[in-house]
Amino acid sequence: MTVRLARAFGGAFAAVVWLATAGGCTGPTEGPARGAAVYATCQPCHGADGEGNRVVEAPPIAALPGWYIEAQLRKFREGARGDHPADSAGLKMRAMARTLSSETDLMAMVGYVSSMPATKPVAVLTEGDAARGKTLFAVCAACHGLDGAGNEALKAPPIRAAADWYLVAQIQKFRAGIRGADPLDLTGQQMAPMAKTLPDEQAVYDVVAHIVTLAR
Amino acid sequence: MIETFLAQASTYAKDIDNLFTLIAVLVGFWLLVAEGIFFYFIFRFRARDGQKAEYITGEEKHQKRWINIPHVLVLLCDVAIIIAAVRVWVDVKQTLPPAEETIRVIGQQWAWTFMLPGADGKLDTPDDIVTVDELHIEVGRSYQFELQAKDVLHSFSVPVFRLKQDAIPGRTILGWFKPILTGVYDIQCAEICGIGHGIMGARVHIEDAEQHALWLSSHQPVQYAAAQP
Repeated sequence: MTVRLARAFGGAFAAVVWLATAGGCTGPTEGPARGAAVYATCQPCHGADGEGNRVVEAPPIAALPGWYIEAQLRKFREGARGDHPADSAGLKMRAMARTLSSETDLMAMVGYVSSMPATKPVAVLTEGDAARGKTLFAVCAACHGLDGAGNEALKAPPIRAAADWYLVAQIQKFRAGIRGADPLDLTGQQMAPMAKTLPDEQAVYDVVAHIVTLAR
Repeated sequence: MIETFLAQASTYAKDIDNLFTLIAVLVGFWLLVAEGIFFYFIFRFRARDGQKAEYITGEEKHQKRWINIPHVLVLLCDVAIIIAAVRVWVDVKQTLPPAEETIRVIGQQWAWTFMLPGADGKLDTPDDIVTVDELHIEVGRSYQFELQAKDVLHSFSVPVFRLKQDAIPGRTILGWFKPILTGVYDIQCAEICGIGHGIMGARVHIEDAEQHALWLSSHQPVQYAAAQP
């Protein structure tokens, strides 16, 4: 009887240990494999291929430059971006960025996302006038480039492959002081006054309609 | 007993703990009695050589009393629990004591936004103070809260207050609390609300009058309504 009990408890203990180790307590610790593992947290919103999902306000992120992804993740983690009460998408991303508890995971994630094949978002907005937007884009081109390819030296990200709905939302946030108002967000503070040079809401749509044409 | 593990930081936390204790004691008593009799019978009427098992229908009076007497006693305990529970429910959920201050609590994926009325004592005015994941309140002050959800179901849970209230999109739900201890305690979401539910935590800072006045004076109002995208 005693031997049976001991065997039963021993078996149960072994099962618990096996479940604990097989159930996710182990896995890759660095490199692309680690990046892929950590990306599982992002996938529900940003998609398996980093293509984004407008329904949950998650932009396409595949193939964004590593320096930009890293900077934004750090801003979200530190509260420099996404901590305004009216920034619903930012508040979501802020919480998720804080799950990246280690530098290794953060950099693995950066490497993984920046190495994803680029996706081409479908334009969904029709309100803008691209011809009028081309004139307005002159201000943006100073940092983001005439072709919208971005400029790392100026910390200006590429925008030509961004989703139009995301660009509109971000420019609106910069204009309203929802993004780029935090003293810790130095590049955001540069972008906010630029966004405010657009004369009205229609101009936001116009300039984004022009940016969409740069990807063609 | 519960306060050993979790502070009682609101006026009604003790009432809820007492209710928990009452339920645990009564239910625990009957659990022990039932299990005790169960195991005694297993031992007392265990298999013996030469004794055949007997089927008992339970219709004899001396057999039925094993059911009837505990049944009546358990029902009496149920009545005691119901009376105690209704009294606490009425005090906590059905009664809204006059507020010294009304605040707004907004749940959204995956953050808590808190709106304090500022110097004018009214919400939705320019001097409102809005904070994210940080609620600053004054000890000994009676608060009413307007609970809202922006996107999906959430539940505003402050364990030290023994407060848990669902937040439902499209509805404003009123509630109240009166903090009685200073300190910093957890706020959590107690309703599965998406992949970030588990990290939707915040902190309540319960301050004395002097500390709270200092915090208020150092905090800039946020044009929340005007800042809506």
